[in-house]
Amino acid sequence: MKLSMLSENLQRKISFLNHAISTRSQLPILLNYLLEARQGKLFICATDLEIGIQTEIPANIEEEGVITIPAKTFSELIATLSQEKTTLQTRGASFDVITQKSKTSFPTMSPEDYPKLYEEKGEKIASLPQKVIQKELGKVIFAAGIDTGRPALSGIYMKKQKEGFLFAATDGYRLSLKNTAVEKEEGAEDGSLIVPARVFKELMQLKEEDVDVFIAEGKNQIIFQAGATIIVGRLIDAQYPPYERIIPLDHGSKVQFDREELQKAVKICAIFARESANIIRFSLRKNSLVVSANSPSVGDNTVDVEATLTGEENEIAFNARYLLDVLGNIEENDMLFEMTGPLNPGVFKIVNDSSYLHLIMPVRVQG
Amino acid sequence: MDDKEKKRVWDTVLTVLEAEVSKANFLTLFKSTALLSLEENTATVAAPSTMIINLIQKRYLSLIHKMLKDQLGKDVTVIFVPKTIQAESVSQKDAPLFAGATEAPKPIGHLPRVRPDYTFQNMAVSSSNQLAYISATTVAKNLGKMYNPLFIYGPVGVGKTHLMQAIANDVYQKDPIKKIIYITSEEFTNEVVEAIRTNQTHAMKKRFRSASLLIIDDVQFIAGKDKIQEELFHTFNILIDHGAQIVLSSDRPPSEIQKLEKRLSSRFSGGLTVDIETPDFELKTAILLIKAKKYGVELSIDVAKVIAQSVEDTRSLEGALLRIITEAATKGEDVSPSLAQNALQKRADRDLHPLHAEDVIKHVCEYYNIKTTQIKGPKRDASLVKARQIAMYLLKKKLDLTFVEIGNVLGGRDHTTIMHGVEKMELLVGSKASLSEEISGITKGLR
Repeated sequence: MKLSMLSENLQRKISFLNHAISTRSQLPILLNYLLEARQGKLFICATDLEIGIQTEIPANIEEEGVITIPAKTFSELIATLSQEKTTLQTRGASFDVITQKSKTSFPTMSPEDYPKLYEEKGEKIASLPQKVIQKELGKVIFAAGIDTGRPALSGIYMKKQKEGFLFAATDGYRLSLKNTAVEKEEGAEDGSLIVPARVFKELMQLKEEDVDVFIAEGKNQIIFQAGATIIVGRLIDAQYPPYERIIPLDHGSKVQFDREELQKAVKICAIFARESANIIRFSLRKNSLVVSANSPSVGDNTVDVEATLTGEENEIAFNARYLLDVLGNIEENDMLFEMTGPLNPGVFKIVNDSSYLHLIMPVRVQG
Repeated sequence: MDDKEKKRVWDTVLTVLEAEVSKANFLTLFKSTALLSLEENTATVAAPSTMIINLIQKRYLSLIHKMLKDQLGKDVTVIFVPKTIQAESVSQKDAPLFAGATEAPKPIGHLPRVRPDYTFQNMAVSSSNQLAYISATTVAKNLGKMYNPLFIYGPVGVGKTHLMQAIANDVYQKDPIKKIIYITSEEFTNEVVEAIRTNQTHAMKKRFRSASLLIIDDVQFIAGKDKIQEELFHTFNILIDHGAQIVLSSDRPPSEIQKLEKRLSSRFSGGLTVDIETPDFELKTAILLIKAKKYGVELSIDVAKVIAQSVEDTRSLEGALLRIITEAATKGEDVSPSLAQNALQKRADRDLHPLHAEDVIKHVCEYYNIKTTQIKGPKRDASLVKARQIAMYLLKKKLDLTFVEIGNVLGGRDHTTIMHGVEKMELLVGSKASLSEEISGITKGLR
């Protein structure tokens, strides 16, 4: 194979591909990129068997072909190249990268051993506008669990609704729910999927255009196509926890507050909560939401956040990390907090937006 | 082919593969595979993802194919499907948000060591146990928040155990997820000792210290056991710290338990200490009515009064009641006060005179008009020998004493002598009518 292109074009794409290269991979072949030159384009694939990324770059193809090369050194080399014409070509068992002044030669492995990311794209189920991915999914995916011991919780739950999709994520301590008015494809059958949260995290970093979503034949892979980039993820085959059942139907106290104010208050208190299991208390008072924390060795502090309370005064305690996560991932400033008692989940909402809900399990404290 | 068989076949394939391929390859590609089905000429194998299947097919399909052929003795087509094989049903423990929601929060079965019929609803309450009852219901409603610990004391048979198990049952019915431990101090001691012996104190500590409700019955028995008291002391502190509820019972207040460390006894008294007094006449009557309902019998209040009057101990109430019910059923009569009176009288008589070895000997002697010293003595006159052997026979038949024991009560005779005597009598009783008459004459006097 032989082709040439501007190094700049390669540089822009290559760092993203590295997200699918696992440094801990057990299989040598997975430390490689699969390069394929055909039909005027260079296709590059990377995968760690959990997710796969494929991207295409227009190039001047002189000879079509396919090869695998070490990902790490190749991407490091490309990053250092100045803007110039770069020629890539196979020469026997090695692969050369030639610029005006430099010539590099890489060992290669047989492309035969490289796994195929997907067979067919399959049925298109939706088209997600970039705005939805960036603004709305960001409010959801942080709540997903990392622990793979419970596969369902490490994923994002996608459920087809009458109008668009419902996205949910939970790690067992908190839950995020978002209804989006995404246009789903005509004829797409109803149902739900669990998509690894990692796939969505990657998707969010792709600041490209709208994304088409496909479900591969056999319903075990989900394929996101964003312009020239494709992200392939394995669907999680598990039972999603009954999130509907834990959403409180009622609340005894409700406060409206300014998100940034509360975020600041929690940040300050988090310093003093560090030594005491990150526990931060909310005291719901008539005209304020009092945030406090204390650890015997560090000290204690209290911050008043202006707020309006409806219902009775109340107390509740949360892990600071969860609070910072929800307050940091929402852009709107007018928010609501609802609760019934110190042992029932507290609910965060956005004023005038019934499509979003975030729920956190409180920490039980004495006194 | 059942699941076990499939697993065996596939495990054999995996063992061979493990030796054939590199460790890295094996772990990445084959670790989560399983043989899903094997029908006719098709083997379906599950692997976690399409990409993994792709790799397996590229490199190891022929190897797998060959191994399956070797094992099954026939050619099979191998098909791969992407499917995650979950290790085991994953516990919900680490997802507290769904603790109440996932499994329908319905109690399954009942708590270990706790009788499900001991509930607040079927507990009779009167002035003697009212305070204890109210404290217990309050504690069950507000675990760890009101009286912690709750210390209940009182003499035997006043309902301490019923009350404590009622707390456990009540909490369990409302929230089966809560970790409830009901244990007697004897069992607690055994568990601690066992844990130390098997070197598993960590697990034991974790078990007790993670409870939301710990109930220890008859806590007075840990008196004098220093190691156990120390363990309980630490468990106690941690549980109180975590806001878990502790309920204890004893036959006396904490301050009067001898050989109980000061720090423990002061902690026991740190919450609410309530006593239950011996039930009064009204309470006993009420208990009887509740128990009768349990057995599905209509008991008139008059009958209940009769029983309550003549039975002191609360625990014996149920026994007396059952007797009367059975007696009425056998006679085909209604349960009336007079029937109750009779049944109880009979029982009382018997209770007064349990059959005793000396009684038997005395009756035999009276019947034959000899002295007990004679029957126990060494003389072997024919009349004495006969009486002695009848005594042996009766002691064996009526009291089921061992030959050695009979030998002892009959003046230290050898057990072989007794065996001989009993055997001889057994033979004679069957053949000589006059002898069996004599024996029934003696036994009539025994009752």
